[in-house]
This record gives sequence, structure tokens and C-alpha cells, in this order.
Amino acid sequence: MRAIETEILVIGGGVTGVGVAWDAALRGFDVILVERRDLAHGTSGRFHGLLHSGGRYVVKDPVSARECIHENRILRRTHAHCIEDTGGFFVVTPEDEDSDYPDRFVQACAETGVPCQEMAVSQALRREPRLNPRISRVFRVPDASVDGFQLTHATAQAARQAGARIFTYHQVTDLLVAGGEGDVRVVGARVFDAVRAEEMEIRAAMVINAAGAWAGRIAGMVGSRVDIVPGKGVMIATAHRLVNTVINRCKWPSDGDILVPAHTVSIIGTTDVPVADPEDLRIEEWEIRKMLAEGEKLIPGFARTRILRAWAGVRPLYRESAVTDDRDISRKFTLLDHQERDGVAGFITITGGKLTTFRLMAEKTVDRAAAHLGPRRPCITAETPVPGAEHGPYWLGHRLREVEDGRLQNQLICECELVTRGMLESAARLNPTVTLDDLRRDVRLGMGPCQGGFCTYRAVGVIHELKLGHGVTPDTEGSDWRVADLQSPAGNPGRGRPPVSGPEPVSSLADHLYDPNLLLRDFLQERWKGVVPIVWGQQLKQEQLDRLIYLSIMNVDHLPDAGLKSPLSDFYGVDVTPNDVLEEPHD
Amino acid sequence: MTDLLIIGAGLSGLLAGVWARRQGLRTRIAATGLGATHWHAGTIDALGYLPGEDAPVRSPFAALTRLTAARPGHPYALTGEAGLREALAAFRTLLEKLGLPYGGAANPDENLLLPSPAGAPRPVYLAPAAQLAGDMSRPEPYLVVGFQALRDFYPTVIAENLTKLGFRARAEFLPIELITDRRDFSTIDLARAMDSADLSRLANALKRVAAPGERIGLPAILGLRRHGQILAALSEAVGAPIFEIPTLPPSVPGLRLTTVLREHFERDLHGRLDLGMTVTDFHAEAGRVTWVASRASARPVRHRARRFLLATGGILGGGFHSEPRGRVWETIFDLPLTAPQKRSQWFRPDFLAPEGHPVFRGGVRVGPDFRPLTLAGEPAFENLWAAGNLLADSDPISERSLEGVAIATARAAVTSLINTDV
Repeated sequence: MRAIETEILVIGGGVTGVGVAWDAALRGFDVILVERRDLAHGTSGRFHGLLHSGGRYVVKDPVSARECIHENRILRRTHAHCIEDTGGFFVVTPEDEDSDYPDRFVQACAETGVPCQEMAVSQALRREPRLNPRISRVFRVPDASVDGFQLTHATAQAARQAGARIFTYHQVTDLLVAGGEGDVRVVGARVFDAVRAEEMEIRAAMVINAAGAWAGRIAGMVGSRVDIVPGKGVMIATAHRLVNTVINRCKWPSDGDILVPAHTVSIIGTTDVPVADPEDLRIEEWEIRKMLAEGEKLIPGFARTRILRAWAGVRPLYRESAVTDDRDISRKFTLLDHQERDGVAGFITITGGKLTTFRLMAEKTVDRAAAHLGPRRPCITAETPVPGAEHGPYWLGHRLREVEDGRLQNQLICECELVTRGMLESAARLNPTVTLDDLRRDVRLGMGPCQGGFCTYRAVGVIHELKLGHGVTPDTEGSDWRVADLQSPAGNPGRGRPPVSGPEPVSSLADHLYDPNLLLRDFLQERWKGVVPIVWGQQLKQEQLDRLIYLSIMNVDHLPDAGLKSPLSDFYGVDVTPNDVLEEPHD
Repeated sequence: MTDLLIIGAGLSGLLAGVWARRQGLRTRIAATGLGATHWHAGTIDALGYLPGEDAPVRSPFAALTRLTAARPGHPYALTGEAGLREALAAFRTLLEKLGLPYGGAANPDENLLLPSPAGAPRPVYLAPAAQLAGDMSRPEPYLVVGFQALRDFYPTVIAENLTKLGFRARAEFLPIELITDRRDFSTIDLARAMDSADLSRLANALKRVAAPGERIGLPAILGLRRHGQILAALSEAVGAPIFEIPTLPPSVPGLRLTTVLREHFERDLHGRLDLGMTVTDFHAEAGRVTWVASRASARPVRHRARRFLLATGGILGGGFHSEPRGRVWETIFDLPLTAPQKRSQWFRPDFLAPEGHPVFRGGVRVGPDFRPLTLAGEPAFENLWAAGNLLADSDPISERSLEGVAIATARAAVTSLINTDV
């Protein structure tokens, strides 16, 4: 078995894990991060995209609110290109009028330092004409929209540049332990490489468990009890960007009270249902209805708008004692030093928290690790922009402008999201890619109204041609990730057309996983999984067109290699057909 | 007075219009648009797979008994084998006359297998002449030629899958400048450009890449107006069989089919076709539809006729609509549908489920005379017929019976409505 060594092994490629890797590498530690799937495949890629100002927590959880506004200001500098500066509103809808919450909200904002300014309703409606005209008060806060995929990838790139090694599709199967009764020490992990289908050992002086909702399972491998209550939240995306500002209901935080503009769509969230298994991402019919009904209160007509997709993410909520309602479990993060807590040395768990505070969580975690390993340089993440931050915040039109300026129309592979062939090729080359879903997280492939109807076949063709040496972009294998540029049509200028002759196969693509038929089937099923919970009306017609393309025209259900499976085929195959439970269960 | 008002201008609506006009009926077609024909591959799929079975159907006629045993209400159970055969033959004769000839397997009972744009074998009953040399029973090795920068066709994927299926196949690329200098183009743009392109450059380029004995598969872009001449001239100049492989939509072969039928109906037969005329309402008296109304800018416009034929298609064509609670309804007459009215019953877990999804199999139930039925099993209206993919108990996309159902039921409905006194 292959064995490698490092000082710090980070488990989990969500934003917390990559943040820890980045911070630790900057301080001079030797770092390896392992993630069992793609970066941001878990909760970091399954949320609504809200960069909190803290406003949501000012009344209920002032400590979280203070952390949020502090980190919000930092991330606008260090990760500017991952953020769209939309600003946010807290609005008082007719349902929320008979409450003293708005006044408590204003007071709490002042106490926690979250900037909050009341504005005239008429002014708010001019800026957001779809907003419910019956709202009575509006407060402006510095919320923003953040791209969780890009935030995670950009931080991972910064970590790599600082020397960290990041292995995706590497699943921890066991923790390596030394010592005996009363003197247990974690000394590394056994890891399964799902792409090469081989086991390896990673030995480390310190193992940091940043597995999010899965952290309890990792800790359980050495008998440490960490009670994570996976809190499932359902979100739905509309086919249109209904608002340009983050809209929050000004009330005690609850279900379906946040609407976030995210690139070309808007996302409403969320529900909060405790689930036993963090992989249980099934969406119930009542959750969809609730999102539609709550959306209607913010945007009249919301329930009739075209819905593209629904998905669920699991919050890694840490339970310190018995608490009944999930949302009342602290959103503050929790750092567990298992040496102090359970007598297991060399092992730290970081859990809870929110995407907005990932940098702070990483800082505190590495502080703790340094206390054991011996201090190196101080933390500098708050002052260190990640590569790409120099571009400044993104805005809705950036891709369109680059496509038009660069006359890249004939390179568009995904017309919904303006993904060019060059962007796809670069993403496939520069990021470890096993499924087209990985490319979706890199460049937003297939995230628009046709939900992969046209771009699935095209992307498969492009990847296949790339593998055979017919790429349109120069091969930059071995160079650093240019994550900031992956999102940019102009950043990946193709020659416009592949070379006529002399193809050189691209060796960096994991060959057996690049079976075009497997890529096709996996991505079609992955997209279907997110569409089934919300498909009706116009989108049902769209799905029938997609069936016409892939069954009638392509006959993809009768392609060779029907038995091939990727590491994610079973995950995509989970049954998500809607159930008959129409009402929220009360217990 | 209009003898027949057809609602819908997809394949079934247009063909019904042609056949009714030829029988002397004063016929009008009112439709939102031209249906889904130009999205499909331009082939005539009669029956490619039986529900839940993996092997392609060899003979659609021989398989009918098993199909109708599994789906007793299937439209083919109403037309019968004879009706299906007769309609497909009539279609073939018609298209021959219109200069867009269709052909099939050597044995007229059987399907052809043609390579799909992913390289899978597509079971089709009739194909445009331009696709016939792709027939997988022919011996020549495949050369699949693509064009650089054409994003709707990937020859290396086709060649690799054909090779895996046991055929000799390889891929080549040619520069798109042989056809167009445009920066942005669809397959339709390329077909238009081909109508006026200098074919000798393309022919020379093909000769350079082709090996002796190969047949050459090209994306389906070989002209719209001059399609027949282009195909013949190119094959002759290259000295090899040349055939088209369908692309991602929009489909040039589908557009050719729509165009010849539409022009035949309007120009040769002097039928009236109103597009952009979405029928939304109707009025009935004493069990007869007296008029239907279409949306217009000022107020709905009423259209009277002796007979009405509903050919609006199903979910894809726009004949049905659906809402979050799971209700699916027919948009004009609110005819009872067999579609499950609960969303939990609409789907199977797999997108590619071989049995298809129940919601896409639901439709309008009709009697043996193709008049829609009420829940009690009586004709809903004396003078209303229905044809095409809105009919119940058929999932034409899973079955690969999209065009066969459209053609056979349009033919049967027209025969029925002509022979009924109203």
C-alpha cells in the first residue's frame, strides 16, 4: 500500500476544510486535504448562496451576527471575485406586521454592529419592482450573493499555491491510531482513491476533521462521540432572476424566508428537517409547497413562476445537549480538541458554523493545531487575497460581455449559462474531473432552463475530443489552477477550432472514467434527480424535449457499456420521486 | 363554411390537412406553431421498442399484437395493422411525389437500424433517402466526418460507439470554412449556406479524407431547398455513398419534412394555414362544437366549422398543461385524460427507465372512429375528432413510435370524419 506523510491531514473538501488547508499552508505547515468526492460536493455546494451580513442572527444569536459581519467584510476583500455585491433587504410583509420583531431587529443590529438602514418602501419597490407592494417597512443591510463553488475552489487554489496537496475522490475509510488505553493518538488515515480504485495511507502529526455533516462518522472511527444533527434544508431555483437584491423576511428566522439572486436564477430557502443520515437528500412534496407559498409572500406570483430545480443540503449542526427545534441549535461553530475532550491526541474536529464564517473557523482550528504542533507564522488569511480577487466582485453580465467582446458565440456549449468550449476544456484539464457534474460546479454547465438538454451531449463530445487531442485551447497541464479564470469566457480563449491533424491524446484525463456513454448517463440522471421534485407546466414540456433528444434522437438508453459505473452513479440513482406527504409533519 | 378545422400543425395536423383537402374538404389549420417535427430526426419511427424491452423491434407490424396486449388502448389497436401499413404506404407515396423520398429496409415489414448522433443504433421504419446509406446492415465501413466548431455533432463519439458495437468506423474533421464564414451558426444556417455553396471544395476535402470503400456520414446539413441535388452531386463527386446523421435540434431533416408538407397544403392544395393562432376556447350546442376561439390582441376570434380535428400534441406539443398539484389537462376542450393526476405517480426514478414515465403515456381516449370519449365512454362531441401524440396509452418517445402514431391516426381520423355525416 502506498503511504505518504504530512504534518496536517484535513478531512473534508468543503469550504471549511479548504479554508483550514489554506490557513495552515500559509503558516508554513505541510498539509494534505482529502475529499471523498469533488470539492464543494456536500453542503458548501448545496446552500442558497447568501453571504450573511449577520442580520438574520442579530436577535436570536448575537455572537453569530458579530462573526458574520466581521467575516463578511474580510471576504469582500480576500474573495471578491466569488461575491456579487447585491446588498440585502429585510422586509416586513403583512404577515409579520403584528410583531415587535422589526424594532428589536433595529436595536439588535445597532448592538451587534451590523449596518442597517431603514429606507422608504417606495424606494425599495423602485429597486425591486417584483417585491410585494404591501410590505410596510424595509431595512437595508450588507448581505451579498456568494458562489459557494467558486469560493471553495478559489480557496483550494490558494491553498495549493501555498503548498497544500489536495486529493479529491479520496475517501477516508479508517483513522490510523497509535498507543493504547489512556494514550490514544491519531496518526493518520487510510484512504480509498475512488478514481484509481486503490488504498493508501496518509500519516500525519495532526488530523483535522472538517467533514461537516459527516464529522460524527469520522470521529466515531476512533470512538469519539460527536453528535451532529444533520439539518436538511430544501432550496428551489427559479428560471429567472426575480430580484437583484437579497430579500429576507424581517421576522424570527424560519422556513422559506430568504430569496437570493444567484447568477441567472434566484434561489429561495430553506426548510429545516433533522435527518438521521446526511446522505438523505430526499425532498418532500410539502417542502416544495412551503417554498412556493412563502415565496408568494415576498414576490406575488412566485408560485406561478417557472421552477428549474430543487435540491437539499445538510447543515452540520452540533448538539451540545438535548434541544428540540433544530434551528435553535447554535449556528456558532464548535471546535473540539479531542485530546482534552476524550483523551485522543492528534485529532481536532471543527464543525457547525456557516459558510460566511469559514475563514474564522479555519483560523481558530489552525491556532489550536499550532498549539500542539508548535507555532509557525501567525494567521494571515484575513489580509491575503486569493488568486482572482483582483478582478473584484462579479456581476450578472460579465460572461455575456466577454462572449460578445471576444466574438465567442460559436464556442458556446451551454447557451443558458454562457459556458464556452474553452472554459469546459480548461476546467476538465485543470480540476480533477470525474463526472460532468464536477464541470457543472466549475463553470455552471447545465444549470439553466434546459437543465442539460443541449449541453450534456455537447460537453460529452467536447471532453471526448479533448481526450483524443482535438482541444481548442492550449494544453496547460501542470500549471496552477486558474480557478478565477474558469468562470470567464475571455480567460479561456480557444483558437476557435480544433487542429485538423496530429492529435495528441491528453494524458491527464482519467481514462476509464472518460467513457462518453457513462458521462452522458450520469449527467442526465443527475439533472433528472433535481428536476423531478419540481417539474410541471413549462418545465415538464422541457423534460419531454430532453427525452426526445436523448431517447428518440440519440438512443442513449441503448449505447454500449451499459454496466459501467462512476463513483457517483449510485448517488445519482437514488429515488427522488415525490411522495404523497402534502403537509408538514407535526410531532 | 369550413368543412374541417384542424387545430395543430405538427405532423398529424399537416398530414390530416393534406389528406382532407385531397378528398375535397374545405380545410383550415389553426395552430400556435409548427409542432415538434423540426425537433426530431426527420425519420419515421413506427415502433422501435416494446415497453420495458431492451432489444429493438425487428418488424413493427409483427410486434403490434404484443404492443396492444401490453397497452390495449394504444392508438395502433384502433388503426389495426392494416391501417398502419396503409397509412405508412400513403405517406411514402406522398413524400415521393413531393420530392423528398423516404425509403426503408429491403424487407418492407422490417425496421432499419441507423446510427444516432451518439453512435447508438436507432430503429426506424422509414428514413429520408439521405439517411439510408447509414443502414447498419450494409457492409461498408463508416467514416464519420464532422466540422470543426460545429457544436451540435461529435463524430469521435459516434465512431467510438460504432466500433464498440462491432462496426468498422473512424472520425475526421473538416474546416467549417468549407461551408460558411459566419462566426455563429446553427445547423439550419449551415443547411441554408449549403444551398448556395460551391460543392467542389467540400467534395475535394471529403475525397482527401475518405479511404476507398468507406461510406461517409455527415451531419444532417446538406441543404434545405436543393437538398436532393446536393446529395446526388456530392456522392457522385466523391465517389462514395454519402449519408446524413441527425444532429441536436433544430433538425434540418425535420424542417425539410415540415416545409414540403406545409407548402403542398398551402400552394398545391390551396388549404389555409394560420400560425400564431392559439385556440383557447370553444362553444358547443346540442352535443356539437359550433366554434372555437383563438387568442388575439383585442378579443378572442371565433372560428366556425362543420368538423373539428384536435391535433395539438401532448405535453411536448403543447396540447396538455400541468400544474404543481399534479393535475394534467387538455387545454381546449378539457377532455378527460388518462394521465395520472397525482405527481407522486407521474415518474419512475430513472430518467432512462425502459418503461417510460406514466405521465408521458397519459392522453385523450378516443373511440374506434377517433372521436374523443367522455368518462362514460360516449363521444364527447358529435363533430370532434382527435389524432396524433395526444392520444392515450402510448408513450411515443419510449416506444419510438412518434411519427408512426401521428401518420396512422391522422389517416384514420380523416377517413372517419369524411365518412360521418354531420
